[in-house]
Amino acid sequence: MVNLIIFLKRLLYILLVLLALSILIFAIARVVPGDPARAALGPRTPEKIIQQLREEMHLNEPLHVQYYYWLEGVIRGDFGKSLVTRRSVHEDIKIFFPATIELVLFSMIFITLVGIGLGAVCGLNKNTWIDNLGRLNSYIGVVTPSFVFAIFFMLIFGYILEIVPTAGRISAEVIAPPKITGLITIDALIAGNFLAFWDAIKHLILPAISLGMAGMAQVSRITRSTMADNSERDYIIAERSYGIPEHIIMYRYLLKPSIIPSVSILGLQFGSLLGNAFLVELIFRWPGLSRYGMNAILSKDLNATSAVVLIIGICYAIANMIVDIIVNLLDPRIRLQNERGE
Amino acid sequence: MNRKVMILMLCLCIILGMLASLTSSTMASGKLRAAFAWPTYIDPAVGSDESSKIAMSNLYDTLVFPDTNGNPLPHVAESWEISPDGLIWTFYLRSGVKFHDGSELTAEDVKFSMDRLLTIGEGLAYLFTGKIKETVVADKYTVVFHTEKPFGPFLSTLFNLYIVNKEQVMANIKKTGLYGEDLGDYGKDYLLTQDVGSGAYMVKEFPLEEYLLMSKNPNYWLDIDPNAPDEFKMIGVTEPMTIRTMMSRRELEISDKWASAETLQALSEIKGVNLASFPAGSMYYLSINTKEPPTDDIHFRKAMAWAFDYDTAVKLFPGATRAQGPTSSIAGFNPNAFTYHQDLDKAMEELMQSKYYNDLDKYTVELFWTSEVPDQEKIALLIMSNMSKLGIKLKPIKTPWLSVVESASSLETSPHIISLFCGARYPEVSSQLEGRYHSSSVKTYLQNEWLLDPVLDKMIEDAIATIDRDKRFNKYHEVIKYVMELCPSIFVLDYANNYAYQSEYVDWYSAQGDDIPVFGYQLVARFIKVFPEKRVELLK
Repeated sequence: MVNLIIFLKRLLYILLVLLALSILIFAIARVVPGDPARAALGPRTPEKIIQQLREEMHLNEPLHVQYYYWLEGVIRGDFGKSLVTRRSVHEDIKIFFPATIELVLFSMIFITLVGIGLGAVCGLNKNTWIDNLGRLNSYIGVVTPSFVFAIFFMLIFGYILEIVPTAGRISAEVIAPPKITGLITIDALIAGNFLAFWDAIKHLILPAISLGMAGMAQVSRITRSTMADNSERDYIIAERSYGIPEHIIMYRYLLKPSIIPSVSILGLQFGSLLGNAFLVELIFRWPGLSRYGMNAILSKDLNATSAVVLIIGICYAIANMIVDIIVNLLDPRIRLQNERGE
Repeated sequence: MNRKVMILMLCLCIILGMLASLTSSTMASGKLRAAFAWPTYIDPAVGSDESSKIAMSNLYDTLVFPDTNGNPLPHVAESWEISPDGLIWTFYLRSGVKFHDGSELTAEDVKFSMDRLLTIGEGLAYLFTGKIKETVVADKYTVVFHTEKPFGPFLSTLFNLYIVNKEQVMANIKKTGLYGEDLGDYGKDYLLTQDVGSGAYMVKEFPLEEYLLMSKNPNYWLDIDPNAPDEFKMIGVTEPMTIRTMMSRRELEISDKWASAETLQALSEIKGVNLASFPAGSMYYLSINTKEPPTDDIHFRKAMAWAFDYDTAVKLFPGATRAQGPTSSIAGFNPNAFTYHQDLDKAMEELMQSKYYNDLDKYTVELFWTSEVPDQEKIALLIMSNMSKLGIKLKPIKTPWLSVVESASSLETSPHIISLFCGARYPEVSSQLEGRYHSSSVKTYLQNEWLLDPVLDKMIEDAIATIDRDKRFNKYHEVIKYVMELCPSIFVLDYANNYAYQSEYVDWYSAQGDDIPVFGYQLVARFIKVFPEKRVELLK
């Protein structure tokens, strides 16, 4: 019951945040210089035609009336028409969003496994060469932008070694699985098309790792320092003195509390990966939402820009809510705090 | 520890080996893949940019087709005639031209295509808007265009009238749309991803944001060389590292044309890749505001034109040549037109005649260069340096394209200079003269000059209304002379298209000096030959 109330409270906050976000992005998209109708139709299109498009998009109305029309549409699931792709933004999102979600999910897997794994190994081998190597890796990961990794990995693994594909989501020669979720790997598994599954995985390797390097480094640093701190705590020393086997201490008493801060970071990472994927998507020709959003911004595609930002905002909020729930489950202290309403 | 390292290395080798063995073969039998700036619109009433035009030139047929000099040859139209007053153009169509759905192309389709283009009004419709009075179907194979005034370059503009299948469009109209109850959306939604043409290639797949895959039309009414690609894939990618990797892996046959000189150099170092450079029919202008001080003074503008270092500018753009007047070197240009060259003495002479000569400190000339085109910065810095020798303060301002467009829409916000590429949309200089200097282009980024000169307007209109080619060209020369005297722009250079391509296994007419000098006709796939077996050799 207490958990349900916490959940509902969170949901209410999220709705308020999204409403504020929608007002903000709607206003910002419209004050950026440039006439979107003229930009979409070109300089030589007669004024009459431009005017038709302005009317269709309610661009001649005051800002608050435009917002009303837009919000009304969004509630109905209609984000309007994209000026770049010339079809409904809803259709575009159905195509591009799964591609980005698939990329981000694989990045998250990489961040979680490698970040926590590396952090744990470094934490357990504090101040050894393994720890130093891990820390160096973390520093490089944190300070290097993802597009630099993308170019570097493409150069090494795509251009020189030629061992992984470097563009798109699936090879032209491979028959794509029927679209169910839009995530090719999942759809391929559902269809039992393992060739397509493996091909999609290979296409994911470089973009997912490039995108996840910074997050992995951050998670690894936090896990390492928490592990190192916790390994010197009294309760660990006491458990060792009781003769509890080291692997049990490691997994049950050391790792579990040590990954709680990293799990919180993972929630934030999810949102930031969604928004920051555009350069990686551009380099690897990944037909994702971030690249679509970036093109929309550059082309002053108002409806598409607003929709992309709103969707990323929703994902971000949901990811954080899920993280809160996980942290709640992992850490009894936070659970207790929430139950007491602190 | 050594054992652990050895095991790690072994695991790594196994993983790499597995990946390598499982990397799918990217065999491309008879495929042609080229990179483009995106998006691409394949609706002939909507698309007008380079990739859209290239797609349409492959998917659709036109009444006339350009030769390697840009002259119109019979195509769907077997012949044509003009009325003595130059107001009626009658085209006689060949029979047996089939659309991709198997139906026959007739005069009804030609009329429908023109009417649809003019009604929708987007893309290249402006070439015909206000010029075509009406299109009449005389019989199944005869179509007649009535023009408002005699329209000299009409045949050349018809390279841009792509014939759509009326029946197929009407069968796929969405009832809700801007064009009334009967026409609904005029098929715009359908034509977004489907072609309704009769061209040598047909749409196979078109995921809008990624690529356009076209397959060879087996029933095309003209013979196609057996080595012409079975599939032509236009890919939306311009990222240099991606292009380089794809070219080196033979996953791309022709690069995009926006690559920098450095990228082109790197691409040319890949085995089997060569560079192709041919005239683009496009000019690079520094478009000067003639209404705003100090550039409203003709002597000030002339001083700038004399001070600019044209030779260095040309060197910055591979394949580019010195501009011969205000137009590209296409039909009707004047090879003997007066041109400026760098002469600082003359520049100073002109500047001293300017009313602003004693107040140079009071003015800063603002130049907008487009942030999306980094090469423009080189020209901006070059002219800044050139002007400083005269004591003119010039400030280059990096400006996003949409802001450039916005600022050019009113005189109050127009900067002193806009850095601008402008290509001819049909292969006659009138395309650039009208597009750049006629009053109809004021309030757009195409004319930051704000000339609004009725004499010039009349001269351009009169030239365009002249049917006789020689007389028309003489009138163009007069217009060019007049424009040069006004000195409304700095004519930086005549731009060239630069591509890298797989010369070992692709025979590309444009790369071999047989380019068709018409915008959007440089990549007509049926004229290109691909040899997949040579590609396989390169991959070994």
